[in-house]
Amino acid sequence: MKKNFFRREGVQSLLASLICILLGLFIGYIVLLIINPKGAFTAIMTVVKNFFTYSKPSAQAKYLGNTLVKSAPLLMCALSIMFAYKVGLFNIGASGQYCAGTCACLYAALKWHWPWLGCLALAILAGAAFGAVVGLLKSYCNVNEVISGIMLNWIILYGTNMLLTQVKEPTSPYTYPVRAEAPQALLPTLGLGTIFNNNIYVTIAIPLAIIMAIAIMIILDKTRFGYELKATGFNRSAAKYCGMAEKRNIILTLAISGALAGMGASLLYQTGFVQWECTTSSVPAMGFNGIAATFLGGLNPIGTIFSSYFIQHITAGGAYVDKTMYCSQISDLISALIIYLCGFVLFLKFAMNRILDRWEEKKRLAQASAEKGGNV
Amino acid sequence: MLLLIQYTLIFSSVLILVALGGCFSEHSGVINLGLEGIMVMGGLGGALAMRYLPPDLPALAMILVVLLCAIGLGALYSSLLAIACINFKADQTIVGTALNILGTAAATVIVKAINTATNPNDVSSTIQYIRPKKSFIVNIGSFEFNWFMLIALIAVVIAYIVLYKTRFGLRLMACGEHPQAADSVGINVYKMRWYGVLISGVFGGLGGICYLLAGVSEWKFENGVAGFGFLALAVMIFGQWKPIRIAVSALLFGAFRALSNVYFGFEFLQSLNIPSTVYNMMPYIISLVVLAFTSRHSMAPKAEGIPYDKSQR
Amino acid sequence: MDNTYAIEMLNITKRFPGIIANDNVSLQLRKGEIHALLGENGAGKSTLMSVLFGLYQAEEGIIKKDGVEVHINDPNDANALGIGMVHQHFKLVECFTVLDNIIMGVEPVGALGILQKRQAREKVMAISEKYGLHVDPDALVRDISVGMQQRTEILKMLYRENEILIFDEPTAVLTPQEIEDLMQIMRNLVKEGKSILFISHKLAEIMAVSDRCTVLRKGKHVGTVDTNKTSMEELSAMMVGRNVNFHVQKGPAKLGEVVLEVSGITVASKVHKNNAVKKVSFKVRRGEIVCIAGIDGNGQTELVHGITGLEPLVEGKIKLCGQDISNASIRQRNVKGMSHIPEDRHKHGLILDYSLEDNLILETYFQPRFTSKAGFLKRDNIRDYSEKLIEQYDVRSSQGPATRARSMSGGNQQKAIVAREIDKNPELLVAVQPTRGLDVGAIEYIHHQLIAQRDDGKAVLLVSLELDEVMDIPDRILVMYEGEIVGQFDPKKTTEEELGLYMAGAKRMEVKA
Repeated sequence: MKKNFFRREGVQSLLASLICILLGLFIGYIVLLIINPKGAFTAIMTVVKNFFTYSKPSAQAKYLGNTLVKSAPLLMCALSIMFAYKVGLFNIGASGQYCAGTCACLYAALKWHWPWLGCLALAILAGAAFGAVVGLLKSYCNVNEVISGIMLNWIILYGTNMLLTQVKEPTSPYTYPVRAEAPQALLPTLGLGTIFNNNIYVTIAIPLAIIMAIAIMIILDKTRFGYELKATGFNRSAAKYCGMAEKRNIILTLAISGALAGMGASLLYQTGFVQWECTTSSVPAMGFNGIAATFLGGLNPIGTIFSSYFIQHITAGGAYVDKTMYCSQISDLISALIIYLCGFVLFLKFAMNRILDRWEEKKRLAQASAEKGGNV
Repeated sequence: MLLLIQYTLIFSSVLILVALGGCFSEHSGVINLGLEGIMVMGGLGGALAMRYLPPDLPALAMILVVLLCAIGLGALYSSLLAIACINFKADQTIVGTALNILGTAAATVIVKAINTATNPNDVSSTIQYIRPKKSFIVNIGSFEFNWFMLIALIAVVIAYIVLYKTRFGLRLMACGEHPQAADSVGINVYKMRWYGVLISGVFGGLGGICYLLAGVSEWKFENGVAGFGFLALAVMIFGQWKPIRIAVSALLFGAFRALSNVYFGFEFLQSLNIPSTVYNMMPYIISLVVLAFTSRHSMAPKAEGIPYDKSQR
Repeated sequence: MDNTYAIEMLNITKRFPGIIANDNVSLQLRKGEIHALLGENGAGKSTLMSVLFGLYQAEEGIIKKDGVEVHINDPNDANALGIGMVHQHFKLVECFTVLDNIIMGVEPVGALGILQKRQAREKVMAISEKYGLHVDPDALVRDISVGMQQRTEILKMLYRENEILIFDEPTAVLTPQEIEDLMQIMRNLVKEGKSILFISHKLAEIMAVSDRCTVLRKGKHVGTVDTNKTSMEELSAMMVGRNVNFHVQKGPAKLGEVVLEVSGITVASKVHKNNAVKKVSFKVRRGEIVCIAGIDGNGQTELVHGITGLEPLVEGKIKLCGQDISNASIRQRNVKGMSHIPEDRHKHGLILDYSLEDNLILETYFQPRFTSKAGFLKRDNIRDYSEKLIEQYDVRSSQGPATRARSMSGGNQQKAIVAREIDKNPELLVAVQPTRGLDVGAIEYIHHQLIAQRDDGKAVLLVSLELDEVMDIPDRILVMYEGEIVGQFDPKKTTEEELGLYMAGAKRMEVKA
């Protein structure tokens, strides 16, 4: 029998994600309505439109570029969380590992004036090291990775502020701009910027992030390592039983996960697009938005590419809402709502299957009675 | 020194309240990682009450209304966790995390909306409560006694009695240990888990407003509660899910948190010349170390984190 | 007028997605009788009892109590009607005391819901006195023996003053002596006017204790007979639908050199502070099946975990084919020729969310035939191999190699594990409760596979709780009690009663490895 189109895993994930997005936007709209009914519709449309608010195509291209520049690190954080989640681990420490990556690449660039590749490598290493700490605590001391991840987030945040204060502008809380102080650390652009109306921030970061997503997919689906990792994620006892080194796999997974997050930081800060604020009092939101992108992407690397873009798209869109009525955090609210709704994905899929069951049962009965009728 | 004790007690009170919240939720079988968000929401409820109440209200009335608002909003918010994790069997980690992010985001949006509505130029997410805060504080000499210290103490006693001496506690813990057994003797597991989560909302909300009132007299809601919800979970694990032990471990953690506020008052600490950031990191580092040593033989409720499915028994 | 039936279940039908668990089943329980419910695993006994206890609702059919139709929607309703149940897997909270477990759900309380345990304790003491069910009410359930836990379950029913008592496979976890005690308790209960429904698939017990017996097969009602007018042979034919030869045919053992040599091993317990296995030594040779017998929880699980490497040894040595593997990793032991059919196929044996083919290569995926040098899986080879295995071992599933393991029946899941472990061509096969929860057909199949391995010159270490299996399959029996080997027997020269004394710790002998 041919499998029903709607029975396919991928189709169901996509549908569930779309439902989450629509519901999230709808609740966001209701919140806007409550705050101020007058401009609510315009505001939610602004969030969805993002750079399309600009009428000139050249401006649109430029700001599309900007959104992409910030999507790349988000995608890396999402990949980081997804990779760990496949092994049954929830790497909420991605935020901290991202922060560690930031610290490493900026410090190397501004203090030591390393070239871009060195900075990138150091960021990856820093992320991996902290990921491995979570892994060690998990596998040898049975510490819940969520709690240790959060604790490390705060430790890393304070540490980053402390270290980067050495390379900050004397008159502001921000680190020196990389473009002016350490141009050797900027990622190569390969002329990609010209596509986006000469957006100087568009670099190899964007294709690099997409390549990483594809690489992660290949590792998970096609290799022995992926087979082991997923086995450990599905059933840790069975993985141990059949001789897989589950402790090593947990540490390795979290180290790779941390490396991805650390790399994400480098892909943003080495474009010179943003500077670090040395008085930052909360952990970068990138890692948390990464959670939204992970689950919205149906835990699939390719899906994550699109969901990361979408989350960044509405986050950037939030900046355009009318500040006299609303605040830009409405986008954060919507992405938080989407994560919450993603908790219901299992239920949604279950409900979809039940509807399909009923529908097929009805069809079968109708067919059976039709055959009966034909026989008479 | 007195200042250190004062800060230790007030931060411990926060940790005790929130950890007890986590304790009730986990004993019912639901891991509540959303405590951080619940604290923010409870704090928001209390802060809004203080903003809108006439400041010349008698202290007792002020305290009661503020507490009720914090409890109410905390409990209401925790029901988002309950409905997702109990009725829809959602992943408790995802939903808890979502609530943390949502809590800060929602509180920021709400406070900014209120501030902007009163004054279009005010786009901050700050609420001030200088005068109402005084209702919570009694000066005994140079020691600032905060009513929350008493509330936390009472909470520990009540939690102990409820968990170990009442029918409710017996049934609640049965749901966290062996829900099938509870179900087979006619206990409604879903209902008990709802109670567990709602109680954690009540305590989380209380802890939230307590945290806001602990130090400063205004709060910027964009900042959330700086991982205090998770520190409380660490306290709960270190306290082995038992109220009295939770109280003791909260004192330890509270002391380290207090150090970062008052270390400059100690000459020998100042002479060590450690940057203030290190003191800020202290509670988190301590909790990591403590967890590393205490997690191996955990006394966690056996069925926690596993959604109960009536049809699979 | 006095009605003769305490409970009548008439024409009960209960469906689950894909199967009909009870198809038009009727059962009538007379007042004051012990009524056995007989059937294979999966025949629908437990479902029928769950319907009576209110855990499931039947689609069709009615239930009558004392001749009056009743509706039982949840265990509370059942309890209100005086129906109580001892579940196969005890429903006890391990970190609570016996007393707390007994009163849970019907707690006597004072003001503010404060528990009043004193009067509850008095009532429990009175009941245990009356029926001879002695147990310490203040002990924690996790500290008492399985037999004591069962008494706690019985006390739970009696504390609620239930009149109709359901026992779901109550003897599975008991020693022969404890079984004897339980039967005496059941007779006492009936004497006091209780009515008992007794679920079992063990014919001897049914013959010994019950008045009447209802037999189910594949969800259907086969018949109800008076036990004193029937025979074991008739009952077994009714249960299985054909005459079964319960005794396995096997030739004499041809012993070869030692394959497994365990000397003085000690394994720590995960549950308590004492060691679960204490200085155990034994040998297994080529061409023999050695069975570790004993009551559940006497260290068998930990012994196997120590041998297979799931748990580290505290002390002692293990040799496989002369090589020391005491500190070898699980993978090394596998490669050196150890196969392990685990006790819990869902926890250890399978990855339920993996496909059947991915489960079949669980211990061989790293071999060059399945993985390329660059670390990529060779999907075509995996498919060919799994198709061969599925064919050879008759593993049935809906979509062949691509079937999710979760969707397969218990018997076929077990066959898949057996196929995987035997096809590795091991020197030593460790099989732990390999037939648990399977129907007669699958049990026969697995027994034949074990004996085929033995006849093929392999060493087989079997761990079993089922006395029938212990008596039939092995060439040598080792009895384990509280972490030690307390007896060694030739199955042809011993009796169940003798084994029982050793299993219960009443007797012991020196056993030399």
